Amino acid sequence: MSETAINSTTEPTVASFSLERGLQAWREEIDAPTAAFFSSCVHCGLCAQACPFFVETGDPKYTPIHKLEPLRRLWEREFTLWGKLKTRLGFSQPIDDALLEEWEPLLYDSCSMCGRCSMVCPVGNDIQYMIRKTREGMVASGHAPEGLIAASVRAVNTGSPMGLQWKTLDVQIKHVETASGLTVPIDQAGADYLVLLSSMEIINFPEYLEAIAKIFDHAEVSWTLSQECFEATNAGVQIGSKDIAAVLVQRVVDAAVKLGVKNVISPECGHAYTGIRWEGPNVIGRAYPFKVFHIIEVLDQLRADGRLRTEGMETDRLSMHDPCNLARKSGVIEQQRHLMKLVAENFIDMKEHGKYQWCCGAGGGVSSNERAEELKMAAFRRKKAQIEEIRPDRLVTMCATCRTQLEEGLEEYTMDIPVVGLTEMIAEHLVEGEPS
Amino acid sequence: MHDRPTLGETLERQGVSRRGFLKFCVTTASLLALPPTAATAIAEALGQARRPSVIWLSFQECTGCTESLTRSFAPTLENLILETISLDYHHTLQAAAGEAAERAREEAMHANEGQYLVVVDGSLPGPGANPGYSTIAGISNLQMLEETLAGAAAVVAVGSCAAFGGLPMADPNPTGAVPVSKVVRDKPVINVSGCPPLPMVITGVLAHYLTFGRLPELDEYGRPLAFFGQSIHDRCYRRPFYDKGLFAETFDDEGAKKGWCLYRLGCKGPMAYNACATMKWNGGTSWPIESGHPCLGCSEPDFWDAGGFYRALSVPTGDIATTAAVGGLLGAAAGGAAVVKTRRAKADAISAHRPITAEELEQQL
Repeated sequence: MSETAINSTTEPTVASFSLERGLQAWREEIDAPTAAFFSSCVHCGLCAQACPFFVETGDPKYTPIHKLEPLRRLWEREFTLWGKLKTRLGFSQPIDDALLEEWEPLLYDSCSMCGRCSMVCPVGNDIQYMIRKTREGMVASGHAPEGLIAASVRAVNTGSPMGLQWKTLDVQIKHVETASGLTVPIDQAGADYLVLLSSMEIINFPEYLEAIAKIFDHAEVSWTLSQECFEATNAGVQIGSKDIAAVLVQRVVDAAVKLGVKNVISPECGHAYTGIRWEGPNVIGRAYPFKVFHIIEVLDQLRADGRLRTEGMETDRLSMHDPCNLARKSGVIEQQRHLMKLVAENFIDMKEHGKYQWCCGAGGGVSSNERAEELKMAAFRRKKAQIEEIRPDRLVTMCATCRTQLEEGLEEYTMDIPVVGLTEMIAEHLVEGEPS
Repeated sequence: MHDRPTLGETLERQGVSRRGFLKFCVTTASLLALPPTAATAIAEALGQARRPSVIWLSFQECTGCTESLTRSFAPTLENLILETISLDYHHTLQAAAGEAAERAREEAMHANEGQYLVVVDGSLPGPGANPGYSTIAGISNLQMLEETLAGAAAVVAVGSCAAFGGLPMADPNPTGAVPVSKVVRDKPVINVSGCPPLPMVITGVLAHYLTFGRLPELDEYGRPLAFFGQSIHDRCYRRPFYDKGLFAETFDDEGAKKGWCLYRLGCKGPMAYNACATMKWNGGTSWPIESGHPCLGCSEPDFWDAGGFYRALSVPTGDIATTAAVGGLLGAAAGGAAVVKTRRAKADAISAHRPITAEELEQQL
């Protein structure tokens, strides 16, 4: 693919991805932290022990720091004195398309950017952050996986990585309105909250929207959806292109500004949350005129304010999978436990939970990348082992990708454990009929 | 001796999983800067090892070293080690007192003749000093050390007092204090200095000894190189400010607030060799420089008498200074040129950036 890209000089209007463009992207990305991280790696291998892809395959090529080899080579060659000397004397190893092709599965298929490696690194190297940087060069050199390319194209062109359009959501809205007897507010200027969804929720978990409608009606929260932007997932972040990411973030900002909302709620999708909350202002280069929350944060605030009145308790033995983007990368750990306490009397945490939890294996674009299917299921074995340790009746989570992966994984390994969304569970326990 | 359970068995009984144990071994290997494969060796050796007997002697000290080891956060390496060694004598930690305590020490010495480890914290009044300055059960420190050493395999001097004399030996040294190494002649001594030493350094040394049956590689002061191989300065997160020449001049000026280098406030980071900068304290929470105080160089010999704590390190005088200055200038010029060049490469890349578009991506499908 890259071969043709390099040779397509006949059509000047069609920009082309090339090795050189990829290297340029890396030159842009290399900064002081990158240099510090590469020079301080002590090759202890702890990151390998923290990575589900390594732990479950045992293949040393899945050692997280090793996945950064192409970027490290460029840094050494062009940004260090020793590397420059080595290059001049002909001792440096080449960075060519063959290398990038070999590394593509390492950077995309076997990394969910869950950040566990960054957390355990004894010298504080943020490996996950550098994977994100390395992906910039991979896209620009034409070495991104097809699944993610297609998702990015659809996200930009249709507004959703799964190709969903407003009319599909509209059908779901009608269902929700019929089922709940409530009205789903659309394009309400001046609402307190703009609610964003992920395509996965619209298609796989429509009960989420219904739950929100119920809870917000119960707590008298003023909210709205926007016809101009309903999707918060960001394929640009996953594929590793800040340009694509910026287009998608800008769409959210425009919609929120147009409606004049004070707050934006990210959907129950892990990377959408970190994408819009943490990475967004950086890719568009300015601060937002509104705040961004995950729905779980909003619900916990409502709980703390006494605006969630629930009745009845779940008696099943319940456990929870913390999405890494939420717990490890954003520190949302206690909120979901407060909410659990509200409705579950038999809750048990996995041994490693909160910021130490093991990734489900599907995030960071792995689930959009068909080639990675087998690895994704391999990585899930770590989660499976965690689940088996405590044998819950049901699992609760708050990320559509995690939830899909948990459901698929449990089915694959024939474990009969249902997975539920926390928001829906809260909605089921609301005290009905009385005004708050 | 052989009816003692192995470490593996002891850990299992205490509910430490195989996984937890392996994690400990991997961490230890990495702390000791051994290759990852060494983790397996450590695991095998520790799993098989009989609980070794350790006699811990405390002389002229403040118990800070014991505190450092025991106040670390559970469940950590330190606890693992404390639970796996057979700590047969330790003033602060043992329940026994008086004659019973001394008997425990003697019994441990006889039962493990030639194999036990002696850990010492605190310095002791030297051979020429009045032994009455520090005695335990009527026995002078020197006598107790010599007695205990006779059948020991090796001595670990924990803390700067035991390693280098520390505070008791500070000028004018009223008790005639000497470090352990001054008294020991025919046994290997390892100095784990620091006031107090990092708990992970203490356990790392013990784990190394248990695994390989010998002490780790040492520097010229008898300290394990793995932990004392690099200066605080080289690993300091404030180093970029030093390199840029940005210094805090007082404890409450703008520079201090901005987290600039504390060199001029007396930081001994450049001459202090220890692992605080990377391992930190209190379960990785912070370390002196991070809380705004210059490094005292507590792991270095005679740190109490090495000029004022708040006086900047002196600059060499005479020819050395000229040479260093010229060399420094040349180095700075070359380094500066290299920085300018790489910065330009980055700036060029940024200005040449062609945004990636969906259309372009679509071409690839």
